[in-house]
Amino acid sequence: MKFSVNWLREFVELPKNPEEIAELLTRAGVETENIETRGAIFERVIVSQITASSRHPNADRLTVCEADDGSGTKRQIVCGATNYKVGDKVPLALPGAKLPNGTEIRKSKLRGIESEGMLCSPIELGLGEDASGLLILSPDAKVGTPISDLFPSDTILDVEITPNRGDLLSHFGLAREIAALTNQKNVGQAHRLPAGGAPALQKKGVTISAPRECPFFSARRIDNVTVAPSPQWLRAKIENVGIRSINNIVDISNFVMLELGQPTHAFDADELKGAINVRLARDGEKFLTLDGKTYSLKKEMCVVADQECAVGIGGVMGGEETGVTDSTKNILLEAAYFLPASIRRTARELNLPSDASYRFERGVDPEMVLRASARASELIREIAGGTPAKEINIAGKLPANPPDVSLSYEKCDRVIGVTIKSKTVDEVLSGFGLRKMSAARTAKWKIPSYRRDLQRDVDLVEEVVRAYGADKIAGTNRSRFTPASIADHAHDLESTWCQRLAALGLDEVRTSKLLARERFAFSESAIELRNPLSEDHVALRPSILVGLLEVLDRNIRASAERVAIFEIGRTFIPPSGKEERHLGILLWGNVASAPNWRSPQSRSLDLFDLKGALECVVPSLSFRPGKFPGLALPVDVFSGDQMIGFGGQLSAAKSDAPGTVLVAEVHADLLLMRDELATKFCEIEKFPAVTRDIAMIVPEEIPHENILRAIEEPREPLLEGVELFDLFSGGEIGAARKSLAYRLTYRERSRTLTNEEVTVAHAKIRERLRRDLGAELRE
Amino acid sequence: MTHPLEQLRDDALREIDSAPDEQALEAARVKYLGKSGSISRWGEQMKTLDKDEKPIVGKLLNEVRNAVTAALESRAASFHSQKESEALARIDVSLPGVPHEIGALHPLTQMWQRSIEIFRRMGFALADGPDIEDEWHCFDALNTPPEHPARNEQDTFYLPDGRLLRTHTSTVQIRTMQAAPPPIRVIAPGAAYRRDELDATHSPQFHQIEGLYVDENVSVADLKGALEFFMRELIGAGTEVQFRPHYFPFTEPSLEIYVKSKALRGGERWIEVAGSGIVHPAVFEAVNKARDDNAYDPEKWTGYAFGLGMDRLAMILFDIPDIRLFAQNDLRFLRQFA
Repeated sequence: MKFSVNWLREFVELPKNPEEIAELLTRAGVETENIETRGAIFERVIVSQITASSRHPNADRLTVCEADDGSGTKRQIVCGATNYKVGDKVPLALPGAKLPNGTEIRKSKLRGIESEGMLCSPIELGLGEDASGLLILSPDAKVGTPISDLFPSDTILDVEITPNRGDLLSHFGLAREIAALTNQKNVGQAHRLPAGGAPALQKKGVTISAPRECPFFSARRIDNVTVAPSPQWLRAKIENVGIRSINNIVDISNFVMLELGQPTHAFDADELKGAINVRLARDGEKFLTLDGKTYSLKKEMCVVADQECAVGIGGVMGGEETGVTDSTKNILLEAAYFLPASIRRTARELNLPSDASYRFERGVDPEMVLRASARASELIREIAGGTPAKEINIAGKLPANPPDVSLSYEKCDRVIGVTIKSKTVDEVLSGFGLRKMSAARTAKWKIPSYRRDLQRDVDLVEEVVRAYGADKIAGTNRSRFTPASIADHAHDLESTWCQRLAALGLDEVRTSKLLARERFAFSESAIELRNPLSEDHVALRPSILVGLLEVLDRNIRASAERVAIFEIGRTFIPPSGKEERHLGILLWGNVASAPNWRSPQSRSLDLFDLKGALECVVPSLSFRPGKFPGLALPVDVFSGDQMIGFGGQLSAAKSDAPGTVLVAEVHADLLLMRDELATKFCEIEKFPAVTRDIAMIVPEEIPHENILRAIEEPREPLLEGVELFDLFSGGEIGAARKSLAYRLTYRERSRTLTNEEVTVAHAKIRERLRRDLGAELRE
Repeated sequence: MTHPLEQLRDDALREIDSAPDEQALEAARVKYLGKSGSISRWGEQMKTLDKDEKPIVGKLLNEVRNAVTAALESRAASFHSQKESEALARIDVSLPGVPHEIGALHPLTQMWQRSIEIFRRMGFALADGPDIEDEWHCFDALNTPPEHPARNEQDTFYLPDGRLLRTHTSTVQIRTMQAAPPPIRVIAPGAAYRRDELDATHSPQFHQIEGLYVDENVSVADLKGALEFFMRELIGAGTEVQFRPHYFPFTEPSLEIYVKSKALRGGERWIEVAGSGIVHPAVFEAVNKARDDNAYDPEKWTGYAFGLGMDRLAMILFDIPDIRLFAQNDLRFLRQFA
C-alpha cells in the first residue's frame, strides 16, 4: 500500500528523512519497498484559466489559446491538447520555468504563432503518468497562484503489509504502529467523532439474513448532497497514493478508507427500492458492478440488497445501478463488518479483488466501523453540503473483542534466547496498545480490537522481537550430533556419480520437470496439471530424456560440436505420479569437442562410449537387445540380473540432430538403495603374470559374449583375465567375417609360472576356440 | 718430490678432461685402467716393493684409481646428457598441452553441494520428501487453512486428482516430524513450484534448502547463530547478515534474512536470501494430531525452521543475471563453472 508521509504526519511525529522512516518500519517487519517524491517543487508554473481558443492557422493539430495568468494581461499560448474547454483552469508554465523533465520554457514561435508559455499535462509536471491531455484543475483554484500551493511536495512510501496486519492498511493504522515503535503516546485524533455528539443508533431500516457472513451492518442517510468534482486538497491526497478521483462523494469514501482502514459505500438513496437486507446471493444471480461488468453469483456469496435485487456484493463492490452519479441528490452511506473468510472466497471466485475486499479479508477493526461512518458523514456535510440523518440504522452485532492472551516472561526469554527485562516486555506490549490485566510471572494481556492476529503467547513474543530489535539478539552456537539418514546416503552416492561422469567429460544439466505437452517422447503418457500457466509447462516429466533432447537441440543451434550430458533427477511415473530418481545420459558428436594438434582425427561417440559411461556408475552392467520404440538400436540395461533401464541409438526421425544420438535412462533409486558393501583389502600379487595373445577370425554373427564364454568356460585355473584389444572386419579378411584379438593373463598366486604350464593351458583354450566356434586362429 | 703415480694421475685427468668424444674417452680408459693400462700395471709392481713402502704406495694407488675412475664416469655422463639435450633441443615447449574433456557440474548442483557440506559440518542430516504433495502437508499442517490470506491458490499448480506441486520445501518439515520424534536436525534440498510466468527472475520451478531444528529451548538466538555462520561460510567471512521481522503462517516470530557483501552481485545492497522463524506451535499441534500422540508438545519443544532460495543464492554468488539460464543448459554457460 502507498502511504503519504504528509498524511502520516497528521497523526504522528516522524523522522525528517523518509529513509529513516523506511528503515524504522523495515526493521520492525513492515518492509518499505520504494520511496518516491511527489508534488510541484518548481517555480513559475501557475494556475491559469483558458479564456478563448481558436484553431492554429498553420497546423491542424494545434490550437491557439488565450490564457488568464492573473496579472491582468492575457497570454497567447499555442497548445496541442484537446481535452479542455474554454473556462477550464489549467497549469501554465511561464517563460523561465524549468519542468521536472528538464524542459526550459521560453517565449517562442510555433508554426509562425507566438507562444508565451506552455499549458501542461500531469506527466510534464511530474504529477502522474497521464500524458493524454492538459491537467484540468479544480474550478475553485485561484488564477495566478503558484501550482506548488495546489500540489505541496510529499513523499510516498510503498509499504508491503503482510497478510496478518490488516490493521496497517490505513494512514491512521500505520501512524499508530510508528508511534508504538518510537514511544510516542498520542496518535492524532482525526477519527474522533465531530462536535455535536454521536448520532443515535437505531435497530431499524436494515436487516441481515446472512449474520455469519455479515455480523454487522450500518446505513446512514445523507440528504441534499451536491455531487461535484472534489476540492483540490482531497484529489491530491487520494491521487498521491494511487486512487483515481471520481467525484466528491466517492472520493470521500475512499479518503476515509485510506485514513481509517474501514471501507464505506455510498448508494444513491433514490435508486434503492425499499429497505436494505443483507442476504446470501441466489445461485446464478446476475449482478452488474460499478466497473461495468456483470457477474454471476453463487449462493454462498453475501450481497447487500434492497427489496427487489442485489445492490452490492457485500464488502467487495457496489452496483452500477445504485451508484452515485452527478445527478444524485440523497445518499445512503454503508459501513459494515464482513467475515474475512467469506469476502476472501467471494473475491477469489469472482476474480474481483477490490480495495475494500483487500481490507475486509484481512479483518477490519470493529471499533472503527461507526467512526468511519461518522467521519465520512461529516466530510460529506462539509464538502458536498449534505445533511446527515440524526440516526444511523444498524443491524446485527459487532464481533466481540479478541480474547486475552497470557504470556510468561520466562517463555519469552526462552523463545528469544536472551533475557529481556519484564519491564521492557511490558513497555513494548503496552506501546502496541495491549493492556496488562494481571501482574504475575505469567501476565494476562487484553488485546486491542484491531490486533486479531495476536492469539497466542508466541504472537506476543514476536511483538517483543519487533520492538526490541532482532539485531540486539546475539546469535548463539548450538550444535547437535545427528546420525546420517537414508537421504544422506542417497545424496552421497548421487554426488559420486556426478563426479565420475563429469570426470569422463560429461556435463551435468538440470532440465525443467514441467514439460510442454507435445514432448512426451519416451513415455506414452504423463501427469498433466489441472491449471497450467503456459503451454511450455503442462505436464510432469515421466522421463529425463525429453529434457536432454531439448538441451541437445539448443546446443546444436548454438553450434556445439559435441554434446555429452547427464542429469540425475526426479521423474513422475503415470498414472499415480510415483516419484523415481533417474539418471539420463545423452551423447552426440565426437569424442573430443574440437580437433587438437596431437589427434586431429576424432571419432564419433558411439554405443560403446555410452556403455562405458554407464559402467563407471552401474555395477555389473550388461546390455541386452531391447524393444524400446523410438530407438533404432534399443538395448535393455541390466545391473546383474536386474533390469534398471533402457538405452540405445535414437531413431533419426526422433531428433533433428545430424548424426548419431545415443541415450540411456536408468532408475537410479534401484542402485542407490543397495546395501553398500564395505570394500576389503586384497593382497597385492607377489608373483609375475604371463600374458599370451590370441588373434582369430570368426564368422561375423558370433558375438564377443560367445567367444568370451569359450575362453572362460570351463575355467582354466591359471587364467586370471581376458581383454579384447583389437577388432576389425572387411579388407583381406573377406566378407561376413571379423578378426578379433584377445590378451589372456595367467598367474599363480603362490609362485612364478613356468613357460610350459602356461603353454599347456593356453593350448587348451585355443583348441576350444577352434573346435567350438570354428575360429581360424592366426599365429 | 712428486711420486710417479701422482704424475700418472695428473696426466690421466688431463687426457680425460680434454677427450673430444666418447671414442677418445674410451682410449684414455684403456690406456690407464685397461688390463695393461699404466695404472693397472702399478698393481702388479706392488709385490716388488719394500714392506715399509707397500702400504703407502698401496693407499696412493687406490686414491689415483678412484680419482681416474670418477673422472671417466663424470666425463661419460656429460657426453651422455649432452647427446640427450641435443636430441630434445628441437622440441617446441610452447605447444599447447593435450586437452582433456572434463565435464562441469551444474551451478545449482554446486551451490547445493557447497551448502550441504556447510550444514553437515553444523550437524544437520539430510531429509527428503516428494514434489507431488497434498494440501494438508503443503498448507493445512503449516498453519495455512483454506481461507488464509497467505494461501493463494492462484500460485499453486494442481493435479487433476486434487494433489498439488509443493509450493515450498517446508512440506519436508511435516514429513520429517511425522516420521520421527524430536530432537530433529535436518536440511532438505529440493525443488518447489509456483504458478509464475517465466522471466528473468521468476521460474515456475525453483530450488530451496529447507532446514528444521527441534529440541529443548531452541531460540531466535540459536536461529541467528546458525544462519549467520552458514552465510559467512558460504559467502565469506566479511558478510553482513541482517534479520528482519516478517510474517509466515508457520513460524512465529518470523524473520527474513538479508545479506550484504562486496563479494556479491548487487554489491553494497541488502539482498533477501531466506525466510525463517520459530516453528509455530500450531504446526506442532497439527503434527501431533497426525501422529496421534503428543511427541511435539509445544510447551516442551521449540524449533527453528528456514528456507533458503538456491536459485537466488547461485545468481548472486556467481553473478548470473537471468534465472532462465539455469534451465536452458547452454554448454557455453555450464562450462564456465567447470
